[in-house]
Amino acid sequence: MKSSIKNIFSHKQAWLLLVMLIFPLMGFAQEATESEQSIWTNEFVFYTVVGMVIVVALLTLAVAYYVLQVVKLIILREKEQKAIEEGVELAPEPSLWQRMMHKLTDSVPVEKEETVMLDHDYDGIKELDNHLPPWWTALFYVTIIFGVVYILAYHVFDTLPLQEEEYNTQMKVAAAKIEERKAEQGGDVIDENTVVFTDNASNLDTGKKIFDGQCAACHRTDGGGGVGPNLTDDYWLHGGSINDIFKTIKYGVPDKGMISWEAILSPAQMSDVSSYIVTLKGTNPPDPKAPQGDLYQEE
Amino acid sequence: MALEKFSYDNKIVKYFVIATVIFGLVGMLVGLTAAIQLFYPDLNFGLQYTTFGRIRPLHTNAVIFAFVGNAMFAGTYYSLQRLLKTRMFSDMLSWIHFWGWQLIILAAAISLPLGYTTSKEYAELEWPIDIAITLIWVVFGINMIGTIIKRRERHMYVAIWFYIATFVTVAVLHIVNSFEMPVTFMKSYSWYAGVQDALVQWWYGHNAVAFFLTTPFLGLMYYFLPKAANRPVYSYKLSIIHFWSLIFIYIWAGPHHLLYTSLPDWAQSLGVVFSVMLIAPSWGGMLNGLLTLRGAWDRVRENPVLKFMVVAVTAYGMATFEGPMLSLKNFNAITHFTDWIIAHVHVGGLGWNGFLTFGMLYWMIPRMWNTKLYSTKLANVHFWIGTLGIIFYALPMYIAGLTQSLMWKEFTADGFLQYPNFLETVTQIIPMYVLRAIGGTLYLIGAIMMSYNLVKTAKQGSFIANEDAEAPALEKKKITGGHWHSALERKPVLFTVLSLIAILIGGVIEMVPTFLIKSNVPTIASVKPYTPLELHGRDIYIREGCVGCHSQMVRPFRSETERYNGEYSKAGEFVYDHPFLWGSKRTGPDLHRVGKKYPDSWHYEHMYDPTRISPGSIMPPYPWLFDQMVDKEETAGKIKALRKIGVPYDIGYEEIANQDLDRQAERIVKNLKADGIEVVKEAEIVALIAYLQRLGTDIKAQETADLNQ
Repeated sequence: MKSSIKNIFSHKQAWLLLVMLIFPLMGFAQEATESEQSIWTNEFVFYTVVGMVIVVALLTLAVAYYVLQVVKLIILREKEQKAIEEGVELAPEPSLWQRMMHKLTDSVPVEKEETVMLDHDYDGIKELDNHLPPWWTALFYVTIIFGVVYILAYHVFDTLPLQEEEYNTQMKVAAAKIEERKAEQGGDVIDENTVVFTDNASNLDTGKKIFDGQCAACHRTDGGGGVGPNLTDDYWLHGGSINDIFKTIKYGVPDKGMISWEAILSPAQMSDVSSYIVTLKGTNPPDPKAPQGDLYQEE
Repeated sequence: MALEKFSYDNKIVKYFVIATVIFGLVGMLVGLTAAIQLFYPDLNFGLQYTTFGRIRPLHTNAVIFAFVGNAMFAGTYYSLQRLLKTRMFSDMLSWIHFWGWQLIILAAAISLPLGYTTSKEYAELEWPIDIAITLIWVVFGINMIGTIIKRRERHMYVAIWFYIATFVTVAVLHIVNSFEMPVTFMKSYSWYAGVQDALVQWWYGHNAVAFFLTTPFLGLMYYFLPKAANRPVYSYKLSIIHFWSLIFIYIWAGPHHLLYTSLPDWAQSLGVVFSVMLIAPSWGGMLNGLLTLRGAWDRVRENPVLKFMVVAVTAYGMATFEGPMLSLKNFNAITHFTDWIIAHVHVGGLGWNGFLTFGMLYWMIPRMWNTKLYSTKLANVHFWIGTLGIIFYALPMYIAGLTQSLMWKEFTADGFLQYPNFLETVTQIIPMYVLRAIGGTLYLIGAIMMSYNLVKTAKQGSFIANEDAEAPALEKKKITGGHWHSALERKPVLFTVLSLIAILIGGVIEMVPTFLIKSNVPTIASVKPYTPLELHGRDIYIREGCVGCHSQMVRPFRSETERYNGEYSKAGEFVYDHPFLWGSKRTGPDLHRVGKKYPDSWHYEHMYDPTRISPGSIMPPYPWLFDQMVDKEETAGKIKALRKIGVPYDIGYEEIANQDLDRQAERIVKNLKADGIEVVKEAEIVALIAYLQRLGTDIKAQETADLNQ
């Protein structure tokens, strides 16, 4: 038994399980994904043990609280007895909460406010001389300390990065991640030489979405052309093969206003959109832009 | 001591109250229009005078200076006389102040829709109006200080400390930020350029919030809240400490509007730490307000005045906690430029300023008309509908801001932006814009109810124009001893001087090094002044209020340098920008690197009708740019004005500037013609295209130069 608990705690999921106990819903979601693993049996044991511990702990607490109340009552009785014997009135003890609040606010209660009433009278407005609330003063000190530490950390000891360094780190981390991802994918990155036309519906669908979002601004949703050339006819300024189209998208033609999409679209996305553009050929949309460039015929 | 008889001037208060109510309704209506324009662009009416870019500054100026301003004056004139047991120093000055201020508002209401703007937020009004504001503000100051000096009350109550700080600081802020070089009657260029202009502007902008929207209202709270609750102020000590710490610390916090920009790091850090230190001083005011209500909470349930005040003070507490949190760089990186900030300022504006004003009016009007409130029930309905309005306004904006920001920053696993098309991040939040407009409508309905209620109240009562009062004259005698601060409360002039010193320190320490030390703005050799045509284009950009929706500040984040394809913005790039146009909100994308990104014809089509190029865009069309012509007569004046404030145009260049202008315009016309577009070279659109194509490109010339070496 003991060892199985230990196993659970050494398990990566142990803390998660603890969280699950608190948030049953989260546990549900977790179960769905983890249910096939062998942890299930351990989990059952764990639940049982922790459940029992909690029940016992709650019971103990309840008993302890009850005992405490009984003891308090006995003490109070004795005090009452004593008070009656001495003929004085018994003032109730402030609770822990009241004591804490008093410590934090340090305010004179409303009933006794006459004791701190100043002789100010401005058009009938009076002022009390309550102390600064200690929690407020503490807050003020903490923010001042924060300020000093902040300036020291950033500008005197240079322990924290200022924005330029922060940016460079951010870029480095991202570049490393991208490299890692490329390596994972085996380095088969589509480029203008390896790209091939695909009539796969899901690829063309992705292509259309990108086209409508990004390209339609200049080439119109139907590809008929606007600021940019018509993509539905047989004339092409920079070549009409899938490779040429891919290349134009990737590097752009900055002089003519076609931007480079290399940094914005992934190779797969550029490939999809290239294929989609190929499918636009011959769709004869209404009111097209006049042909530009050279006649391209498929080989 | 013999009692002296005198009377309080209620008539001036009445006039300020009427102005408050009218301009409140107008300002809110303009705001609602702007809010609806963001999801229903047709409400721009296709008119240049009513497009979002011109309506937005009209809304902010109307609610800040006309609504809150008049409310502040109404409350100040009412409370000042009573707290000092005297009539205002001079009735004539009171009336000059009143009519002068309303004339300024009228001038703003005419000039802003006409496109006369400096583009500096909350300081958009052009130089002749700036001068008028200075004069009227001084009249207000003389009237107030004069009243204080002829007082019958020995000590100045805390509300008056706040009024004094307000007067002194707003004067300093307004004068320093409005330094500008006039070009024509209604056109000027900011004295400062780029980073320095940004620093001055946000020192002003932030402290306009502090000393126009906060300190005077804290003063009003200190008078009207204890009066309405009939309870003593909780703590005199707290008043003293939070007053001085508030005015001293507030002034430093401006740079938190410029985190992650080209402002030097040290100035940004000062902005951060002083903003965090502001929590306690701000909360001091909230605590003193709420704790004053101890023993009166049972009445809060029935009394609409107290209800409004409680929510106002609570909103103040929330906004002043949120502000410092927004000043932390990591939180700011997410929220800045988004609708989160719009939510934040409206919690302050609708909650704190609006509700405190409403509470004050509901309390003051029955007293000045010697009657009871016409309908307490209606006031209660106003309270609930107003509260609901605030919630419906703020929550959608928080969600919209967060959603959009996360969309801007999201990358795919392959390292590309998940939403490279900016428009996608806009269409996503349009439902939130609709909800916000509903919230605004509710709030406005509440304000209309109040107007009705107040008019009815006035009708059933009889106005007391001069309220009789009596008090003994102040004995001329030397008083020594007592608490050090109470000694200060007897010396209004010394008090004013000390306040001035307290608010000058922060500004001086931040501004002087930024202006004098060269390393704060490293020069970039390839950055050159704008050409004459670009200058005209830039002025059109300013006139149309483009800066209201488009920033020109690519922050040093991967998500921004990737999206805006270029380097992040450098301080040296803005040295000829009079004024700076970094912006504070991105309803559309950043434009600092837009130069040469698209062909001229793209801009031509896009400005004519944005939805032609970007279906679903909420940017309004600008057809008038195609009919209106650039005024070449003004070129020389612009060049001369800019040279006077440090832009290195050669002496005599103004005489040949128009030749350069024509040449550049012809090039653009030729480019457009190649794409089948015919345009006159003097058309404003040509100048605007020239400016847009220049944006952020100088630094690229530097790169080429570096490569050639």
